[in-house]
Amino acid sequence: MRPDWSIFRRWEGLLLILLILIVGYNALSTPGYLTVGNWVNLFQLSIEKIIVALIMTFIIINAEIDLSVASVMGFSACMMGFLFAGGMPMEWAIAGGLLAGFVAGLFNSFWIGIVGLPSLVVTLAGLIGYRGLAYVLLEDRSIGEFPAWFDRLGQQPLIGPFPLALIVFFVLLIFAIIVLQYSGFGRYVYVIGNSKDVARYSGVRVRRTKMILFVVSSTVAALAGILYAARLGAVRGDMALGFELDIITMVLLGGVSIFGGTGTMWGVLLSVLIILNLRNGMGLANFSGHVQTGVIGVLLILSVLVPNLAGTVQAALKRRRARTVEVVAAE
Amino acid sequence: MAETQTKQPILEMQHISKRFDATQALEDVSLTLYPGEVHALIGENGAGKSTLIKIMTGVHRPDTGTILLDGQPTHINNSQEAQTLGIAAIYQEPMIFPDLNVAENIFISHRSRGMVVNWGRLFKDAEAILAQLDVKLDVRMPARGLTLAAQQAVEIGKAISLKVRVLIMDEPTASLSAHEVDQLFRLVNTLRSQGVAILFIGHRMEEVFRIADRITVLRDGKYISSRPKAEVKRDQVIREMVGRDAGDFFAKSEVPRGDLLMSVRGLGKEGAFTDVSFDVYQGEVLGFAGLIGARRTDVGLALFGIEPADTGEITFEGKPVAIKAPDHALKLGIAYVTEDRRGLGLVMPMSITTNISLPTLRRYLSALGLVRRPEEQRTAESFREQLMIRTPSVALDVGKLSGGNQQKVMLSKWLNARPKLLILDEPTRGIDVRAKAEVHHIINDLAAEGLGIILISSDLPEVLAMSDRVLVMREGRQMGIFDRKDATQERVMTAAMGQQEHQEPTGAVQG
Repeated sequence: MRPDWSIFRRWEGLLLILLILIVGYNALSTPGYLTVGNWVNLFQLSIEKIIVALIMTFIIINAEIDLSVASVMGFSACMMGFLFAGGMPMEWAIAGGLLAGFVAGLFNSFWIGIVGLPSLVVTLAGLIGYRGLAYVLLEDRSIGEFPAWFDRLGQQPLIGPFPLALIVFFVLLIFAIIVLQYSGFGRYVYVIGNSKDVARYSGVRVRRTKMILFVVSSTVAALAGILYAARLGAVRGDMALGFELDIITMVLLGGVSIFGGTGTMWGVLLSVLIILNLRNGMGLANFSGHVQTGVIGVLLILSVLVPNLAGTVQAALKRRRARTVEVVAAE
Repeated sequence: MAETQTKQPILEMQHISKRFDATQALEDVSLTLYPGEVHALIGENGAGKSTLIKIMTGVHRPDTGTILLDGQPTHINNSQEAQTLGIAAIYQEPMIFPDLNVAENIFISHRSRGMVVNWGRLFKDAEAILAQLDVKLDVRMPARGLTLAAQQAVEIGKAISLKVRVLIMDEPTASLSAHEVDQLFRLVNTLRSQGVAILFIGHRMEEVFRIADRITVLRDGKYISSRPKAEVKRDQVIREMVGRDAGDFFAKSEVPRGDLLMSVRGLGKEGAFTDVSFDVYQGEVLGFAGLIGARRTDVGLALFGIEPADTGEITFEGKPVAIKAPDHALKLGIAYVTEDRRGLGLVMPMSITTNISLPTLRRYLSALGLVRRPEEQRTAESFREQLMIRTPSVALDVGKLSGGNQQKVMLSKWLNARPKLLILDEPTRGIDVRAKAEVHHIINDLAAEGLGIILISSDLPEVLAMSDRVLVMREGRQMGIFDRKDATQERVMTAAMGQQEHQEPTGAVQG
């Protein structure tokens, strides 16, 4: 007779229910909603943020934060544009953009891993600094006119109905799930996120793990920035401005604790799907973008509140049952 | 005795008992404080001194027993009430706000100062209080940068501002230099002459005998004795502190000593310990005895590479080594089992299996770097059987186990690393009797298998029963190494409290 509340206690369970409701509603009210083409479009609109959310999940589970990702996206794309405008072949310009992201990651991880500063401060400085570098490179120019193959990669399907960015996402997603949930490295990420002291006292190389994460984070951000440039067909200093908050929202809504140590890649995937479908559904129902953002904000608060609340309710029910039993026994 | 009994006692603690879960912290303890008397309270770590103080200051409530203040039964429900009643405590580390000035620190507990601070009056009052103590300090100076002794003077000033009648001093001299101790004792004498009752807790016998009028000994939460200083001798007090029956302790069996495992010479770490030298052999348990603050843990952390030593040499299995990081130490075959299970030992919200495999995770990785979970689980299951970890499943979070079972998980975690040298830091603290006995058996078996073991323990009977040799430390210095047959409780405690054997006594010359 006892209802099983465990699905409500796990935020992932609630997300799944919510997702089914939203998708169900959208599918019923909009014909053609459940087509591949529509879903590709859905993803394509935020694909760069979603890619970066994958690595941000690792960083937040590790009890750190990387606020500089959006600026690194902008900086790397601008570096690519700058090199291309300076006469470099596009392939080399892309490599230059990726290298810029990699170096930014090395710089972040030097301060975090070797000097030992808090990542919040280091990457806040990065948020300002790399954005500044992007403006230094391009000033108020916009660089476009990239080779046609580059624009096509960003805008046209590459394999079947899927454009390159979506394929990159799928590959990275599978890789991220395997590494985070099944590999030794992923295990270290969780342990360090729970207690970096216990990890250190167990012989885990804590700094090394953190440094790897921050280098990968900036490199993935650089890749996302370049994919973004391909989709837009041009680069500017203010590219991807403010994306870091959307990215962090995706991760936290997925049930990853801001204090580290808990959360799964599956939860983040569900949260991404919810955000995409919610925005899309509300857009179709003529709610403005601001309202959509507000609703996502409310969801974010619930993501922290509900699992705790469900736990409290469950405990209260258990107590009441225990009391009832006592009363019955007394009679 | 006669002289004090003519006075009316200020505070009487009568037949106080207090239990925390499995441990009886205090059992029928009585203590009487008279005005103008310095009363020393001494005992080993865990004798119940802190619990008694916490009851006096309202942090804990006694389970049974009465507290009389001026002969009236009183309940002290929280530290605020204790303050109102005139009971104050100062500790080893003064609780000073570094950015406030001296006067503000003195009057920090006074709430009724209105909206605007009357600085003139504040400074004048503070100066008056310090003058009463015969202390010269600029009350306008920020407390930051005051010496420890000056900070303690401020603390005492704070107590006086609250019209203190009973002042508890919990190891106030622990981090003071000899000169600063003199200054502090001058203050204590001033307070005594003003009729304050002082309860002095200290570990240094010399100081206790210098300042106290009366000495009370606690042991294992029980009242042992209380006498005027003139009627007791030092060795008598030490005997009373340690005179515990070691009979119920499991003793390590004799194992023939194996080859030399590790040799440490002149090991030192700035600000922690100096000149520590010892050898550990295979199959040997080397005990580290000492009081809290003896810096034994720091030696352990240096050997494990958490806080590497900055002077001295370590030879491990005949080769000179420099241990710079824990993974370094692990590779050599050195494991350190921390005393702080919760903070440093186990990841509480993760499973038993995850915790056990953590230091050796590399062993459970496939060629692609994925964790081979079935194998990991088999290891956990085998330790569960071997060490009798009581749990429904090894997938359970460690945080849900009892202290003793957590301790066994921690041991499993390190035994799985197959160390050659195992450093155990307080391995039986806070666990029940049964688990304690099991841990002792495990230590014995490990030594029999040829492991070298360093056993850091503040439980003197335990360390004596379990060790082949005992190294005694005091305040970062090595006081001596005793063979099993020479290591009596009295001798070890005497060394731990600051008198080196066969050497000139340090400080004041006394018989």
